[in-house]
Amino acid sequence: MSSPAASLNPAHRNGNASWRRYARHPGFMTGLVILAAMVIIALGARWIAPYSPVAADMTNTLAAPSAAHWFGTDQYGRDVLSRLVWGTGISLQVAFSVMVISIVLGVALGSAAAFFDGWLARVLVAIIDILLAFPGFLLALALVAARGSSLSSVIWAIAIAFAPRVAAVMRAVVLTIRPRMFIEASTSIGMARWKILLVHVVPNSLPPVIVVATVGAANAVLGEAGLSYLGLGVQPPAPTWGNVIADGQGFLASHPMISLSAGACIALLVIAFNLLGDGLRDTLDPQMRRRADARTL
Amino acid sequence: MLFQIDAVSRSFGAKHSVLRSKKPVVQAVDGVSLHLDAGETLGLVGESGSGKSTLGRLAVRLLEPSAGRIFLDGVDIGTLGGRQLRAMRAQVQMVFQDPYGSLDPRRTVGAAIAEPMKEHGAWRADGPAKVRELMCTVGLNPEHATRYPHEFSGGQRQRIGIARALALNPKVLVLDEPVSALDVSIQAQIINLLGKLQRERQLAYLFIAHDLAVVRHVSHRVAVMYLGRIVELAARNSLYASPAHPYTESLLAAVPVADPAAARAKPRARVLGEIGSAANLPGGCRFHPRCVRARELVARPGSANRATIPIRPVDTRYGPLPHACVHDDPTLADRGDGTFVACHYPNAAAAA
Amino acid sequence: MNSSLPAVFRIPRRHAPADAADASDSIRTGETRIDPEAVLEIDGIRTVFPGAVVVDDVSLSVRPGRTLAVVGESGSGKSMTFLSALGLVAPPGRVTHGRVLLDGVDIARLSGEALRRVRGASISMIFQDPMTALNPVFTIGEQMTTLLRAHERVSRSAARARAAGLLERVRIPEARARLDAYPHELSGGMRQRVLIAMAVALRPKVVIADEPTTALDVTVQAQILDLLADLQQETNMAMVLITHDLGLVARYAQDVAVMYAGRVVERGSLERVFGATRHPYTQALFRSIPDLEGEPGCALHAIEGNPPDVAALPAGCAFEPRCAMGRGRANCGSMRPPLVETDAAAHVSACFFWHSLATTGSA
Repeated sequence: MSSPAASLNPAHRNGNASWRRYARHPGFMTGLVILAAMVIIALGARWIAPYSPVAADMTNTLAAPSAAHWFGTDQYGRDVLSRLVWGTGISLQVAFSVMVISIVLGVALGSAAAFFDGWLARVLVAIIDILLAFPGFLLALALVAARGSSLSSVIWAIAIAFAPRVAAVMRAVVLTIRPRMFIEASTSIGMARWKILLVHVVPNSLPPVIVVATVGAANAVLGEAGLSYLGLGVQPPAPTWGNVIADGQGFLASHPMISLSAGACIALLVIAFNLLGDGLRDTLDPQMRRRADARTL
Repeated sequence: MLFQIDAVSRSFGAKHSVLRSKKPVVQAVDGVSLHLDAGETLGLVGESGSGKSTLGRLAVRLLEPSAGRIFLDGVDIGTLGGRQLRAMRAQVQMVFQDPYGSLDPRRTVGAAIAEPMKEHGAWRADGPAKVRELMCTVGLNPEHATRYPHEFSGGQRQRIGIARALALNPKVLVLDEPVSALDVSIQAQIINLLGKLQRERQLAYLFIAHDLAVVRHVSHRVAVMYLGRIVELAARNSLYASPAHPYTESLLAAVPVADPAAARAKPRARVLGEIGSAANLPGGCRFHPRCVRARELVARPGSANRATIPIRPVDTRYGPLPHACVHDDPTLADRGDGTFVACHYPNAAAAA
Repeated sequence: MNSSLPAVFRIPRRHAPADAADASDSIRTGETRIDPEAVLEIDGIRTVFPGAVVVDDVSLSVRPGRTLAVVGESGSGKSMTFLSALGLVAPPGRVTHGRVLLDGVDIARLSGEALRRVRGASISMIFQDPMTALNPVFTIGEQMTTLLRAHERVSRSAARARAAGLLERVRIPEARARLDAYPHELSGGMRQRVLIAMAVALRPKVVIADEPTTALDVTVQAQILDLLADLQQETNMAMVLITHDLGLVARYAQDVAVMYAGRVVERGSLERVFGATRHPYTQALFRSIPDLEGEPGCALHAIEGNPPDVAALPAGCAFEPRCAMGRGRANCGSMRPPLVETDAAAHVSACFFWHSLATTGSA
């Protein structure tokens, strides 16, 4: 009869993850490089920062940028550059923690809402929708105000405020996966619903969620800065970027470098995350689109 | 009888919604009865909207029937729960239509074939060997068990689907359009494979398809569905040689024939309009809005000596039609030679 | 109309412009003939995607009032050939060679406004899936009047009246009411009729129907194709029927071209290709399909192997790995067989051994 055994399509062997495709995307690589640089700075803060971030020197307050102090000093005589360098670690910590927590919460919430039926699912959908209705920042604000300001409470507040967005995306994706035939196939052999969710649904829904998560990381950086600026984030004298902006707020006309340099750092990190997210979205999407196109020959 | 479907019905949409008005109830399957014996194939044909796919899913209990019962080896599977239900699932498996969609793209092919065994606790030390053996059985290279679905062609993926369905040694396979999505040249390979497996393992097949030529090739008996009902059920040769129901006639007339002379000689398709909606069934016989024979019977009453029921034309929006067709829903009945047909004026059996 | 420089394609001439009547030349070189009576001639089209040649030197022609069936499976390039002819190939695909002569005018050299005017008015295309071919947010009437007014100067009410007439012509009941319906409110068969109405609205010379009934039920399929045949008779338009269903070909076509892996492997009249097949792929295709007359239950003559992967074609004949006749033969494996005339005029085959099919008796 027939012997189709031997021939497989060698062109398809590379599989889903083709690192070369990522490397060719300039936006993705730029974002990755910036992020990597920031991570190195954060890890090596002790050696990179020329001064202690909290060492006040009242004899040298509000100094202009110079060779000794690249960005000058603030009103307490602290070296701005050192504060920024030490602040990198805090911003990155917030960004990654929020990303992880919001993914875990959002994926759980969104997939359960979309995959199960009955009153529980409807309650979950309602929860997602209600939380989405709140402006994220205000929600984070309220949570921090309730729990008090510390690094962990800032992280949790922002994560909980962002999780509904992840949940909404996850829910949309799961709704498209649910009717697909391989889910039916696993159901027909008697696989339990929760098992199908874990084994089949979630792995297939991750790509869009990962992209949303990078947006969350960017938001987290901004959120933390905003909270610190309002005095509700990590408390001074901790060298968070938001605190540096707050410190420099009163001197914007005379000594703009303090606030501006911190603002530039925030902008750079946010851009890095956005580029990363864009790159991920571009590399993940066309893969699916091209495969679909090839079939219409 | 190995597998029996007894007066099964399934409807959708009968939910009350607080804000919206009641949605129309779609009677996808309405009082269908079939049976399967070991080693034989029952072909189930129908167009889209006929309910054949729903019936397939009811047979493997992906859906629960709204009414009726299903028996496997004499046991009513509706009464089973828990462990017994899972055991039953092992006996009745499904091969799905879409080779591109029926496999999880993120898992290897070997994992897909192994999954039924693992789910049923049948995964022992010889599990991987069994997976390889199954792959050989369906004509695939067992070395490729670690590859992903997208690395295989459509026909090969369908073979994987068949291997997965065989993993638990079922007695009954429900095949939902197993070759429709494949290239013509590959269809033949899969059809041959299915035939071979049936002979070797004495499997019973419920072969759901819309392609009449394929169904004729693989089936021993054939059932024709229209809007949730079986309108004709006959042995293969009888159905194709002397169809009883006008819908069967029109389906056969519409099938294109790959021979130029025969194709041109074939009369034009004799059916009107398109399949109706199962949410909006006409009264009486479901097929009467499209039935050419009904119109002919009114136009030329003498043409049929099959008119055992007086015709008594009635005016409808489709023109005058026999009274019985418009008001009485025909039931599936034996026309005398083992062919069951649901029509008030069926074709008589062909003279032997 | 064809004076604008090519912006969309780069089309260097592959061979010297052939004299239409020079038949002997083409037999010697194995190239196809250009048919002076044809309304549409596709000459040497070559379309590439990164890593794959999806249409490889395809030449076809169709005459007014006749239907050319283009038969092939996945990867054959049958749809892509005509998308290329109409300039509908999206990047990263490119059409690198070929001429497309519509009544003798090379429309492949057109772009922009000139090309747009040709599309729809002289050549139109009916696509496979009626649901995605219609815009879901506009009514049928809006889409049809837009089409009419894009090509002709008519008032909105006149266009609407014409649209209603067109819907009646394709046998849609209650045509005027349907103008205000949205695509999702119609059934599949109705939508396809609407697409046909739009395709013939401007009285094109050629209609290309790409698997027009694959997504439809078999009873509706017959109605749609009978409708197309009737329209063709009324207007004497040429039709190209792209399909994989040999039964449809037998009933509705007069000329047949069989494609495999982006190439034409056999081309001729319906009677010849079906009755005196001269290519092993075509023959194997006939043998492998079950029909209503043959012996049920027996094993079908399946074609071994898998459909071709156009990204990884063998050096010689593309069908060689699966060919019962040619597998392993030196010629077949190393050299691409050219399209040559067989034992009848205008019946060509791309096989070194077509004559053995003649002697052993074909199909």
